[in-house]
Amino acid sequence: MAGVAVSVYLTAVHVAGFAPACPVAGTINCEVVLSSGYALIAGTSVPTSVAGIAWFAVSAVLWSLRLPRPQLAWSVVGMITVLYLVFIEIVQLGAVCLWCTAAHVLVLTIFLIAAGRR
Amino acid sequence: MAAKRPRPMRKPVSTTPAWAQPAALAAGLAVVVAGFLIYRYYTTPPPPNPLKATAAQAVVDSITGLPTSELDGIGQGSAKQLIVPVSGQALNGPTGKPEVFYMGAEYCPYCAAERWAMIIALSRFGTFSGLQTTSSSSTDVYPNTPTFTFHGASYTSQYIDFRSVETTDRNQNALESPTAADQALVNAYDRGGSIPFVDFGNHYVFAGSTYLPDVLAGMSWQQVAAAVQQPSSPQAKAILGSANLVTAAVCKLTGDQPTSVCSSATIQALEKKLG
Repeated sequence: MAGVAVSVYLTAVHVAGFAPACPVAGTINCEVVLSSGYALIAGTSVPTSVAGIAWFAVSAVLWSLRLPRPQLAWSVVGMITVLYLVFIEIVQLGAVCLWCTAAHVLVLTIFLIAAGRR
Repeated sequence: MAAKRPRPMRKPVSTTPAWAQPAALAAGLAVVVAGFLIYRYYTTPPPPNPLKATAAQAVVDSITGLPTSELDGIGQGSAKQLIVPVSGQALNGPTGKPEVFYMGAEYCPYCAAERWAMIIALSRFGTFSGLQTTSSSSTDVYPNTPTFTFHGASYTSQYIDFRSVETTDRNQNALESPTAADQALVNAYDRGGSIPFVDFGNHYVFAGSTYLPDVLAGMSWQQVAAAVQQPSSPQAKAILGSANLVTAAVCKLTGDQPTSVCSSATIQALEKKLG
């Protein structure tokens, strides 16, 4: 549920829009990340955070149905996506969004719990 | 003799703690992320050498000598309209004319992008001298965006005063400090403290850049200047579109003077958009 909440917040921020700008804080910069082209799912106008909402929702369903193998497989999908997004933040953009990182940590936590249950 | 009963096999007991596998996975992921950081460090390109004064002036002359017809043809281009009306005591500059105030920093890639548009726009109302080239930070987003700096430059105009504060150089070393009055403007109209911040006489303000700096990625100053000569180029649509928005805001300050700039249908339409 926390993951859904963070993803919904990120989607709301994206939809509200904001100007690309430098903050006082420097590298920790949600504006840079969320105003980049990578904030949208490739080839669409759908914010990447919407995919996060979907991922967390499916994860919650799998968890409640107690399906360890599909849960682990879904967690692996989420983890691979997180690694890609972290690569984009660090290598391509040189900026880290703390809210995105919160969502990534939640995915990591779910992945580690699913892996530990095997 | 009775056959010996086979000894029951012991159930294998795992000697590996339950937390070991997740810990190993977490450590592996940490190594991957560390690899990203190392890759970024070693692939960050060095900044280009700044142009000498004569070459820099040639670039400025090129971008400020564009025909009005090209600017008018671009309109808003691909620039995002960020300029908003504000109400405050009229902001006048050192010579008593309406003041355009800019605050930014040399490291900032969004400031780097916006300065191209501001130089083109403000050159329609006056003349810059002493503009030097620089590029945005090598370690920030959109690294090494080619640009100019307002630090050390001067501007003269019969219509407006222009005052700039570049707070840091491209390596984030302190350069210029805003006055208390400057900071009061930022506090009033730019609560997030985002830069670039531009105040048009306390009638209009905007914070941020009206186009993303990625359109200038990997280009030299001369290449940017050449690209803005081509109306169909993404650089022309972004930079000249932004310049037209800034021009419209300045025209509102000057009562549509000079008419050669402000009376065009394009600028008049953009003025209406500003409100």
